[in-house]
Amino acid sequence: MDILLLKGTALFYLLSMGVFFLYLLMLKDIYARVAPAMLLAGFVLHTAALAGQIAQNGFPAVTDLREALSVYSWLIVGIYLVVQLKYRLTVLGCFVAPLAFLMSLAGLTFGSSGGELPEGLKTSWLYVHVTLAFLGNAVFALAFAVSLMYLVQEWRLKSKRMTALHKLLPSLERLDRLNYVFLVWGFPLMTLGILTGSLWAGVYWGAYWSWDPRQISSAITWLLYGSLLQGRITAGWRGKRAATLTILGFVVVLGYFLLGDSVFPSRHAGNFE
Amino acid sequence: MNKEIVIVGLNHRTAPVEVRERVAFEQSILSDALRCLRALRSVSEGAVLSTCNRVEIVAATADKETAFAEVKQFLLEQEAAAGESSLEDHLYAYAGKDAVRHLFRVAASLDSMVVGEPQILGQLKEYYAAAQEAGSVGAILHRLFHRSFTVAKRVRTETGIASRAVSIGSVTVELARRIFDTLEDKTVMLIGAGKMGHLVARQLKRGGVSSLMVTNRTFERAIETAAEFEGNPIRFEELPRYLKLADLVVGCAGAPEFLLKPDAVEETLRERKRRAMFFIDLGDRRNFDPRINSLADVYLYDIDDLQAVAQENLHGRAGEVEKAERIVDEEVAGFLHWLDSLDQVPTIVALRQRLEEIRRNEVDKSLRTSLKELSEKERQAIDDMTLAMIGKILHGPISRLKKPSDEQEEALCVEALKKLFGLDEK
Repeated sequence: MDILLLKGTALFYLLSMGVFFLYLLMLKDIYARVAPAMLLAGFVLHTAALAGQIAQNGFPAVTDLREALSVYSWLIVGIYLVVQLKYRLTVLGCFVAPLAFLMSLAGLTFGSSGGELPEGLKTSWLYVHVTLAFLGNAVFALAFAVSLMYLVQEWRLKSKRMTALHKLLPSLERLDRLNYVFLVWGFPLMTLGILTGSLWAGVYWGAYWSWDPRQISSAITWLLYGSLLQGRITAGWRGKRAATLTILGFVVVLGYFLLGDSVFPSRHAGNFE
Repeated sequence: MNKEIVIVGLNHRTAPVEVRERVAFEQSILSDALRCLRALRSVSEGAVLSTCNRVEIVAATADKETAFAEVKQFLLEQEAAAGESSLEDHLYAYAGKDAVRHLFRVAASLDSMVVGEPQILGQLKEYYAAAQEAGSVGAILHRLFHRSFTVAKRVRTETGIASRAVSIGSVTVELARRIFDTLEDKTVMLIGAGKMGHLVARQLKRGGVSSLMVTNRTFERAIETAAEFEGNPIRFEELPRYLKLADLVVGCAGAPEFLLKPDAVEETLRERKRRAMFFIDLGDRRNFDPRINSLADVYLYDIDDLQAVAQENLHGRAGEVEKAERIVDEEVAGFLHWLDSLDQVPTIVALRQRLEEIRRNEVDKSLRTSLKELSEKERQAIDDMTLAMIGKILHGPISRLKKPSDEQEEALCVEALKKLFGLDEK
């Protein structure tokens, strides 16, 4: 059942990605309307699949990479759909749809290492911590996407190379403002995610901070985003610098997310003892 | 003797702005200059065209070589009044067909720095009116200028040339919208009084910009322009102080050195907390140091960049210039035919004289020899009869020539008459 729903989700994300690419190629309005709708259809299936999992297990399944990727892509798509409704940033979908598809595909392919969650961990703290941390990361994934767009647009304006894509990308000012919006939303979420995680660790492991690689990478990203937010508010940092720092911060998160667990064994990777 | 059109002058391609400025004819001296021009021995009609991008003398002459020399001297003296002399290298000289084509291309804005910009036609009309007032133009230049206005009109309506200049403005607005989300809360600083600057400023205002500052070395000009755009005039010395308020900076000043250098712009950026700035350089000499573009959060486009973008935007329009050139060619041919047909009147007179000469000779010869016994009355009758014969013979051809059917046929007939009766040989 779950697998079928997840397959359907991946299929709709793929279709949506195709239509977004058609939009990039032909710039027809019809594609700009169809593509987010496809994404929404995928999102509905995805929600159903996740709800089914929770109903089955009684807690969100986020203990291995496969499940984490699935929840993560669900959040990114959800946030994008909200942003699309508010800002009509169709081109952002061209980043989100492939990302969502690849993540859901990865979610389907990676085997479940299925570390069974120890009884003691199944507290409401888990849900709060995981939800906050994932929301924060999903927001930063979108911040990453708009920052990437910023750098592309800025490079095109500087080098005076014009293409259709150039017209498609939003203005630098808007991209920069979105970077700020995502930062302002993402940073508190991330902070709360780290705090709840740390409290939870304090309760369960007996230490708030245990130099877990996951904690370290989160701390690095947190410091990066924190100083960026601080710089934006007080020193007027913006534009290229803000975009570059956002990308850097996200690369740390993503890098750890994809490689970290295998390189640096962590208690976050299903190995909870 | 056949009249010809000659043009001697310099433009934005052949001469830098300092040289053009030295030769430029101020309004105050224009009528004197036109009188001097008309007084030249070889020049039968003359007009002056003096804009920021070109100074040209248009003349009708019967003696091309002398006219070239005299008109060049005329321009050299104009420059000498400014105490310099480097003009010779920058001058071009056209005669006949080339001169007509040149003037038509100027009128149609094909020779402009920004091809298709509309101001040149108005300027041409102004200078033609001035020449008319000074009495330095006659039938030939009158016709030449009026044809050039027609050419400009045809090129404007029959080709997409005009949209190219407008596109400089719209490309600027489009680029500005890629940098800024909205133009409504942005401020424009317009430096200098160049025509393109005005055009772009107008488009930016139409694009939503509400706040505009204008500065000029001559503060009065700044006040005038500011009034036109409902903006604020700024003293030129105060530019550095106000620059930080500007999101878009349009430079059209044509100054010999850069108005803004990278370090000054960097300083300004720091003051405005690195909010993006868009510099648009429309001068034919660069107003802004090109290195400014390598600063972060600054975008500098000069007129060539804008034209390149405009070009990319309307690549389907590549054939418009060729279309315009074809119109010019057509009109040049038409004008030259007309100019040739001016010979018609002298040709008729010459033909009458030639036949009269033959009649006189033959009648005299006969009356002196074979018919010398004739009475006075009979002699008179022979004279009348031959006169009537010539009259009858000429009646057809001449009335045909005087009632022109079309310019080309007319020119052909005149040419044929000249050849058949050897009218040129005397």
